[in-house]
Amino acid sequence: MKAVTSDQFETFLASVTSAFDVRVPIALEDGTRSLGRLGEGPLVLAGGALPGKPTAVFFPQFETTLTYRPGCVQMQQAPERPLLVVGLTSEDANCLEFMDRFFNEPFHDDVYFHKRAGAVIVVVSGRCGPNGRFLKISRGNCDLELVSDGARFVVVPHTETGRHLCDRIDNGGEASLDPLQRESDALGTEFADTVNRASELMRQDKVPEAFWQELGDRCIACTGCNLVCPTCTCFDVYDWKCGKLVERQRLWDSCQLSGFAREASGFNPLSTEGSRARRRIHHKLVADPQRWGSITCFHCGRCDDVCPAGLGIRAVCQKIVERYG
Amino acid sequence: MNRTLTTCPYCGTGCQFYLVADDAGRLVSVEPSTEHAVSRGQLCVKGWNAFEFVHHPDRLTQPLIRGNGRFEPAAWDEALDLVATRLVDLQKRHGPDSVAFFSSAKTTNEENYLMMKLARAAFHTNNVDHCARLCHSSMVAGLAAAFGSGAMTNSISCMEEADCIFVTGSNTTEQHPLIGTRIMRNVLERGAKLIVSDNRKIRLARFADVHLRPRNGTDVPLLNSMMNVILRERLEDKQFVASRTENYQKLRDVVAEYPPEKGAEICGVTADEIVRAARTFAEADRAMIVYSMGITQHTHGVDNVRSCANLAMLTGNLGRPGTGVNPLRGQNNVQGACDMGALPNVYSGYQKVTEAPIRAKFEEAWGVESLPAEVGLGVTTAIDAAAEGKLKGLLVMGENPMLSDPDQNHVRRALENLEFLAVIDIFPTQTSQFAHVVLPAASYAEKDGTFTSTERRVQRVRKAIDPLGGSRPDWEILCEMGRRAGYAGMHYDSPSDVMDEIGRLTPIYAGIAYDRIRRVGLQWPCPDRRHAGTPVLHVGAFKRGRGLFSPARYKPPAELPDAQYPFVLSTGRCYWHFHTGTMTRRSRLLDREVHDGYVEINPDDARALGIRDGQRVTVTTRRAEVTAVARVTDVVIQGVLFMPFHFEEGPANALTNNALDPECKIPEYKVCAARVGSAQGAAYESRDV
Repeated sequence: MKAVTSDQFETFLASVTSAFDVRVPIALEDGTRSLGRLGEGPLVLAGGALPGKPTAVFFPQFETTLTYRPGCVQMQQAPERPLLVVGLTSEDANCLEFMDRFFNEPFHDDVYFHKRAGAVIVVVSGRCGPNGRFLKISRGNCDLELVSDGARFVVVPHTETGRHLCDRIDNGGEASLDPLQRESDALGTEFADTVNRASELMRQDKVPEAFWQELGDRCIACTGCNLVCPTCTCFDVYDWKCGKLVERQRLWDSCQLSGFAREASGFNPLSTEGSRARRRIHHKLVADPQRWGSITCFHCGRCDDVCPAGLGIRAVCQKIVERYG
Repeated sequence: MNRTLTTCPYCGTGCQFYLVADDAGRLVSVEPSTEHAVSRGQLCVKGWNAFEFVHHPDRLTQPLIRGNGRFEPAAWDEALDLVATRLVDLQKRHGPDSVAFFSSAKTTNEENYLMMKLARAAFHTNNVDHCARLCHSSMVAGLAAAFGSGAMTNSISCMEEADCIFVTGSNTTEQHPLIGTRIMRNVLERGAKLIVSDNRKIRLARFADVHLRPRNGTDVPLLNSMMNVILRERLEDKQFVASRTENYQKLRDVVAEYPPEKGAEICGVTADEIVRAARTFAEADRAMIVYSMGITQHTHGVDNVRSCANLAMLTGNLGRPGTGVNPLRGQNNVQGACDMGALPNVYSGYQKVTEAPIRAKFEEAWGVESLPAEVGLGVTTAIDAAAEGKLKGLLVMGENPMLSDPDQNHVRRALENLEFLAVIDIFPTQTSQFAHVVLPAASYAEKDGTFTSTERRVQRVRKAIDPLGGSRPDWEILCEMGRRAGYAGMHYDSPSDVMDEIGRLTPIYAGIAYDRIRRVGLQWPCPDRRHAGTPVLHVGAFKRGRGLFSPARYKPPAELPDAQYPFVLSTGRCYWHFHTGTMTRRSRLLDREVHDGYVEINPDDARALGIRDGQRVTVTTRRAEVTAVARVTDVVIQGVLFMPFHFEEGPANALTNNALDPECKIPEYKVCAARVGSAQGAAYESRDV
């Protein structure tokens, strides 16, 4: 298969910027990695999951969904060029697959699909994870995949769009995917196993209320877990009035806030710290499987990195399995 | 998209994040720095929401001049000329000290430096101060006397290295969340001991080995009794005391008056609790003290600080990682505003205005003939002077004394009494309502500069977007003001030039320049451009030579409960809001979380008074009566009420007592006498825990 260096791939990306709004993993001023445009920082394909959720390109933290002026309502417009997003991990691709379902069933969310429609997704996997870790190769649920063999990236198209783009990439040499695929298949599944086991225990009602209160004691409600989770979809809608102009905003919300579920009557089904700590985990591990047929944590690990209190989903599931398994 | 690395504008922890602006130049999110030593890819809820208020429709975007009883938009030239002319005119008629300047812990180091230069060089007065007067002036005075330096002795990383942490008067997980969680995880995951002294059941108290719940204002006897136990059981660090301290016998004599039984009686805790706390602290290899407003905001705040310093010295817990006396600064740049000399008694770097050689240095550098030699008015004493008619003019930058200073009616009278008031701010405030001129400032996201965090780390603030509307950065406004007041020494091309001047005149900042803090901030003292900064102060020796034991005796608060006002009212902040709410109340999720003033009351007290949770009540002191929503909770002990001061709808500082510490003039926000009762026509309001 075709193989390219990072520089060769960057050259290819530069050649398609007139057709696509290209977003790539870049290193920012102090080395923090983020999803930016070419030229906004050095391209850094290696390093694994970006700290922020890549699904934010389609569902950003804050956006104006419509603008009202007397006699004129303007809805959010689709971008001029479709997005080409590089740097998702295979776990992120799974998250995006869920997001596409969430924003389409039963209600089709135009604001999301304005950006998502026509977008090209490029997963990065292989021997380029943090601390030399191997990043799992995707299930093919993306357009194009760059699988690192440690020196170059094997270019693997998964869709017609991906094949079309692959054809336009200069060939930096031939490489075989097979050994990399075997390495990927041999990766451990501890994270997934832990989450699955914790989910079972919760569904069997084996996790007592006291456990969630213990988490509630520790949680400072920074909301970071929700804000970095690629499958958290909750948002708040409100209007900003500035003279005769009204902007309707939507803003990521968080189930770790007491205002999240508070009803107009004053009643709040999530009125305690413990119930809010439970809600996040329960939703992904119990409620979503009932609603969507699968757990909606795809093991990206971001909430474990972002939580100042050490309450990421992996840490919590490990505790559940240790204590109640 | 544009991502700009900058420093959080809320508490003093000093987290760094990227402000993300969309292609239209609108801030749309925050991304924490994963590489920053404090943030490590994490933030608290305020940090995550620190972009939204910037574009709020309420932003001031053009100068306003009061005419015919209301504000009219004005051109910058007209407004600036008016401010300078009126202040100069007042000085001509009433003398240089008839005007005062309130600087701001929200603004940058460069702006604080320029404000104090404006006051001193352009307006020839030392009447310059900022809100550190209200929060940590007692710390600056107390620790400077004991150690020679009024700042946190250690670094935030030390929170993870301590074997015992004594948290007193700091609700750390709420007010410095990324420091609080370090303490929590050190306790839960590394096994450090935790002592909490706070009669509120704060989150950290849930993990404490010893939770002391002393009466408000009894910190000195509590600390004295702990030291009494340490000496009685010979747990003191004899070598440290002998080699590094002085005035030890005096400490022994005073502490001997406070056996734990006596401390227990004064404080309302048990002698056993005091003994356990003392042993736990003294037996640890590395023990640190963490404190905040619960220690400082008292009429004996300086004595409280001295007592903390005494305990640390007695047990040899200074000058090493994982130890120290660690006051947590409450605002993004309150440390820097102090460092910059936005204080009535010192220039930048705590160089005293009363010392002639220091004045001569600044006179030469600033090109002025004789700088004022008398200590000026502080925030609290300036308001008093205005109320008495002695102060005629006031320029306020980024402060809101109507909500933040004690006794709001007194502040209102003072502001109404001024002949001229000018306010520079990003939003209209309760204070700007009284102004004759309001100047619109750029927010932290719209300008360059530096903030200095609680661990003395000088960090960059960067312009992410252009100033909104016609607003301008404070540093530009101040320079214009200086020029229009007839002073030619305030022309700079950029804040970087200001920092270079600060470095030339300020020994502890001499090694700090923008090219050195591009990625990582430096911790002062940083005496030259090769110096790597100072994470831990007083290693081997104190700045003043030997540490000075300064024992104190118990002095009760100025106003205690009586038959008419049977409760102690204590005030502070809540997690969701920041100070007078100017920014957080304009952040959707934060304001949704808590959107009205509340008062915490113990369930037994509530039952006795027939007060239900969520009910609207009146809280009354000798100064005022306000309404608030009752939170019936065992967070507070019987006999104590707690109110946050963020809310203009129920301003806690209408109630507080303007009684000041005689040494540093900090008000006693933590104790006054109050009563509480059901409000007429009360409506039920729900709340969560």
